[in-house]
Amino acid sequence: MKLTNGFDISASALTAQRFRMDIVSSNIANADTTRARLVDGRWVPYQRKVVTMEAKKPEPFSSYLSSAMNGSTGEGVRVSRVYEDEAPFKQVYNPTHPDADERGYVQMPNVDILKEMVDLMSATRSYEANVTALNATKAMIAKALEIGK
Amino acid sequence: MAIWDTPSLRLMERTLDAAAFRQKVIANNIANADTPYFKRSDVRFEELLEQAMYVKTIPGRRTYARHIPIGSSAAPVAPEVVTDEKTMMNNNLNNVDIDYEMALMAKNQLRYNVITSQVNHELKNYRTALNGGR
Repeated sequence: MKLTNGFDISASALTAQRFRMDIVSSNIANADTTRARLVDGRWVPYQRKVVTMEAKKPEPFSSYLSSAMNGSTGEGVRVSRVYEDEAPFKQVYNPTHPDADERGYVQMPNVDILKEMVDLMSATRSYEANVTALNATKAMIAKALEIGK
Repeated sequence: MAIWDTPSLRLMERTLDAAAFRQKVIANNIANADTPYFKRSDVRFEELLEQAMYVKTIPGRRTYARHIPIGSSAAPVAPEVVTDEKTMMNNNLNNVDIDYEMALMAKNQLRYNVITSQVNHELKNYRTALNGGR
């Protein structure tokens, strides 16, 4: 039974949560970006990005090994996909804007700052929880090294 | 057989293994606190141990490894993973309660520390004996 596996589990979650924070930062940074992509000669605004996560499946070998040693744990978490929010773009009336259409409306990104802030907070808290778990595992290993001293 | 291969040390060794294993399972629960459809797992060990220790029947003495165990089972208690499929905590069918997991982890860590000190204590007794009580 390898105890350091606990590090890998927590570390995978740290990576995933940090990636989620990066995506949230990108959404907030591009909240006013009207020229994200050029589609058929027309500028399309930035589309909000959302992260989905999935539980990591054990590798075949380690799963055989741990099932031989009665019972296996999961292997942590990973980001499965980043997909784009299909919600409609916000229409803002601003005839002086260079990207305004003939009626004077500008298509703005479908980013909702409030949603992003909530997501950011949730990611931060999850990150902290996983740091605590990692420290607990570390403290346990340190304690095990004290046996017989 | 070494002199320190006593039943109590062996038992504590197994309890330490179970606690280390539970730590991994809890770490995995916390890692998947935001994963849709994830169901939390837990490790059962202490209650299995208790069941095995308080068997009222008299165990049959085995003089050969292939004898059928009578009374209490001679197989060592092993920790087992149980997954909680019934409950739901979130809209995405995830059932990890982060506060509960944190409390469980603290408890598990304390248990680990207690057993480690107990092992140390027992080993210190041997050391005292080896030094002739000096």
